[in-house]
Amino acid sequence: MRRTYLGEFEEVVLLMVAILDGDAYGVTVSQAIEEHTGRVVTFGAVHNTLIRLEEKGFVLSELGGATTERGGRRKRLFRVTALGSRALQEVQQRRQELWQLVPPGTLRLSGL
Amino acid sequence: MKPDVRPPRFARWLLTHLHPDDTLEEVEGDLDELYEHDYTRVGKTRATMRYLLNVVSVLPPFVRRRKCKQEYYQSPSILHPDMLRNYFKIAWRNLVRSKTFTTINVLGLAVGLATCLLIVLFVQHELSYDRYHAKADRLYRMTLHAQLGGKELNSAEVSVPTGPTLMQECAGVEAITRLHREGTFIVKRGTETIKEEHVVFADSNVFTVFSIPLLKGNAKTVLTEPKTVVISETIARKYFGEQDPIGQTLTLGTRGLFRVTGVCSDVPSNTHFHYDIFGSIRSVQLRSTWLSSGVLTYVLLRPGYSIDDLTAKMPKLVNKYVGPEMQQLLGISLGEFSRRGDRFGFRFQPVTDIHLHSNLNAEVEPNSDVKYIYIFSAIAVCMLLLACINFMNLSTAGSAARAKEVGMRKVLGSVRQQLIGQFLSESVLLTFMALLVALGIVAVALPSFNQLAGKQFGLSIITSGWMLPGIGLVSLLIGLLAGSYPAFFLSSFKPVSVLKGAIRTGTKSGWLRNTLVTIQFSVSVGMIVGTLVVYQQLHFIQNKKIGFDKDQVLVLHDTYTLGPKANAFKTELIKLARVLNVTSAGYLPAGASNSGADGFTPEGGKQQSVTYRNQTYYIDENYLPTLGIGVAQGRNFSKAFPSDSAAVLINEAAARQFGWKNPIGKRLFAVGNGSQESKRVYTVVGVAKDFHFTSMHQRIDPLVMLYGHDNYQMALRIQTADIPRLLKTVEQRWKAQTNTPFTYSFLNDRFNTMYRSEQRVGQLFGIFAGLTILISCLGLFGLAMFTAQQRTKEIGVRKVLGASVTGIVALLLKDYLKLVLIALVLVSPIAWYTMNQWLQDFAYRIDIDWWVFALAGLLAVGIALLTVSFQSIKAALVNPVKSLRSE
Repeated sequence: MRRTYLGEFEEVVLLMVAILDGDAYGVTVSQAIEEHTGRVVTFGAVHNTLIRLEEKGFVLSELGGATTERGGRRKRLFRVTALGSRALQEVQQRRQELWQLVPPGTLRLSGL
Repeated sequence: MKPDVRPPRFARWLLTHLHPDDTLEEVEGDLDELYEHDYTRVGKTRATMRYLLNVVSVLPPFVRRRKCKQEYYQSPSILHPDMLRNYFKIAWRNLVRSKTFTTINVLGLAVGLATCLLIVLFVQHELSYDRYHAKADRLYRMTLHAQLGGKELNSAEVSVPTGPTLMQECAGVEAITRLHREGTFIVKRGTETIKEEHVVFADSNVFTVFSIPLLKGNAKTVLTEPKTVVISETIARKYFGEQDPIGQTLTLGTRGLFRVTGVCSDVPSNTHFHYDIFGSIRSVQLRSTWLSSGVLTYVLLRPGYSIDDLTAKMPKLVNKYVGPEMQQLLGISLGEFSRRGDRFGFRFQPVTDIHLHSNLNAEVEPNSDVKYIYIFSAIAVCMLLLACINFMNLSTAGSAARAKEVGMRKVLGSVRQQLIGQFLSESVLLTFMALLVALGIVAVALPSFNQLAGKQFGLSIITSGWMLPGIGLVSLLIGLLAGSYPAFFLSSFKPVSVLKGAIRTGTKSGWLRNTLVTIQFSVSVGMIVGTLVVYQQLHFIQNKKIGFDKDQVLVLHDTYTLGPKANAFKTELIKLARVLNVTSAGYLPAGASNSGADGFTPEGGKQQSVTYRNQTYYIDENYLPTLGIGVAQGRNFSKAFPSDSAAVLINEAAARQFGWKNPIGKRLFAVGNGSQESKRVYTVVGVAKDFHFTSMHQRIDPLVMLYGHDNYQMALRIQTADIPRLLKTVEQRWKAQTNTPFTYSFLNDRFNTMYRSEQRVGQLFGIFAGLTILISCLGLFGLAMFTAQQRTKEIGVRKVLGASVTGIVALLLKDYLKLVLIALVLVSPIAWYTMNQWLQDFAYRIDIDWWVFALAGLLAVGIALLTVSFQSIKAALVNPVKSLRSE
């Protein structure tokens, strides 16, 4: 299968979708990003990323039921697919492996 | 939401108008929620700021569009190999399933393509004449355009000194080359004698001016010396076999011994001349006067020099050189000459134009006519068009059967492009099947086509060069073109209505089919009219009273080779029982002849001083009786009158021209060529009845016949049913006298060959007419079949209600009859005009009668009825129980 890359921001958004576990939609995802990473992003960035993730097959979306909130407008709810969770795990694993390869002391010396 | 917690309205307006529709709902909700959240947390101003920023971030071009469902499932491209394979598989199945339809289409297209291909070969060859010369764009032939004594003279030959003078006087001329012809030659090598027809005397630069490669010999020195000759490869092989011909000798008729100094390759077939023996022009004594007959003169211009500049210089040249000579020979100045309405001038024609555009006196070979190129090209296009129309008609007529398929395919997710691809591949496949058949037809028909068109094409011409890829490409285009209408028509069906059976497909496009059928029959009727007119005219000219009896006249050629023995031979021939009369003659109608033209001033005519230029030839006292030409007034030449050496016979046309009511005893003053002895006075002793001594294209010209012996050829009036035996006897006598080859012809054959080009046109027209009718009928047959099928139920109901079989047949036929009649009305004026143009070429021609059109129409109607009635009768005879049973 064609290898699909996961960009840095995509990874963050995907993680947020995983964290929110079924309650992920535009508002909650942007709030979670702000809350957990301190980054203030425009709504458009989140919106676009979610669409792109869906095209790549990492998330699935579904329109939620109409409620009396938000003037009766439906939410689009996202959840992580199996492919998405595997991609996240792979990223984490790759990081882990790379961390293993860093010689002890290098990072300390670099003045952090 | 509290009423005051509301984002700015214009931002909301922007969002609703510019954000993609499919995600608008959720985005609007999300942004509202965020705004509300910010509003409570950080206050109205900052919430509004963030809201604005967020709105901008979801407007184009920043926003990413959600792909729609269809885009998630990417349907393969219509040109994907798998799809193509599928198209062709389905196409093949469809073609195999409807065999009649396929056969009709393939046959029609194949005939159309084959005809087209043959015509393309022909046209291409005709257009390629003289284009292969490296300097063809700067090469011109000089022509003479004059009017002498009221008679128009347009000649391909110009006066002998013209070429050299031009070279001297005009800076723009790079080279000139001249060809001088002396008819056929008896060529001798050792004891072998062969008659050669393509002999010419040429300037030494002929091989460089025309791009004819010299295989042996030095291009700079060949033909510079007198009595030298360059021969073509074929001639070299014929006379010398494998030996080296350089330095060998050949005897050219009475011109004596010639030394071979070079061998050139054979002159390509697409050249306006085909000489294979080139003698040096210095071997012959050319007359150096401007007013006598001349030589073919070709002019090569320097690059960048315009031919118009050269043409503009001609009047001055004529003034300078022809003027003084005219004064000397005719006794009048050039000014006086032109005051009498006469002209004398030179023009130039591009060498590439000679074959198709030139029709002058003294052409090297009878040229073709660009008119025929146009006619044949038009026919080729028509044939292809007809075949394509067949395909379109049958496809749309059969659409009822395909409509359900289209509906089902659409329901199952086929998009329109795929359906179009499907139908186009069907037509392309069909075209290529037809192409294969067409190539087969061409291979089979090529020999007969060559004979008909007078060409020598081999099969290799199709496989060589760009021909094959070109044919493939054109076939593909035809396939796409013919398939395009059905493809777009069929693929536009709406699945719901088609599957419900709501529209009666096939009847909708009726008007278009009718138009196309009308076009087909217009072309067919036009071709029939053309064929009828050509054959009628041919019949007319071949059976018109020509003024003499052309049957049972045997002509012996080249009797001048007998020399002094000719008279003895003649008396010997007269003694033969089967020979009634013998004459030696320079000129015999229709064929190579010795004739001249001279200027005459008649005595006591309308205008005393007028000089007429007339055809002249020498005949003896047996000429008129042998050919069976009647004497209108006076008497024939006779040995009984010694004074006849100064006597002439004229024809009735000449008597009219001279303005003589009673010509007998009148005197004629000959102008001659300037020398004293050629200025003679003749007395008219008789008037011969007008007879056609040239083809029917020309009027009967005034003619002056002088008494004398011209042994160029002999004509024998014979009376026998056993011609081979007579020929054998004559040949024996001939062989006893000389070893020159015995050649002969019959006058009536010669007359028929004169109209060979017309016969060819007639034959071609006939064949093409037959083919167009065949294609049209194939189409009509298929169409009738479909209509009969579609109207099965209607016919069943009609029969139940009491319609008779004849009534139903008439009902079905009526539609087609109408179309043929409309076609007849439409095409008649066009055909009448075109054929009248063709007839203008004949001085003696028929009028096109109304019955030609009636007959053509009747034929077309008859053929159409025959084609259609089979299907119609079959449909009408079907038992209504069967046709109405299923529903």
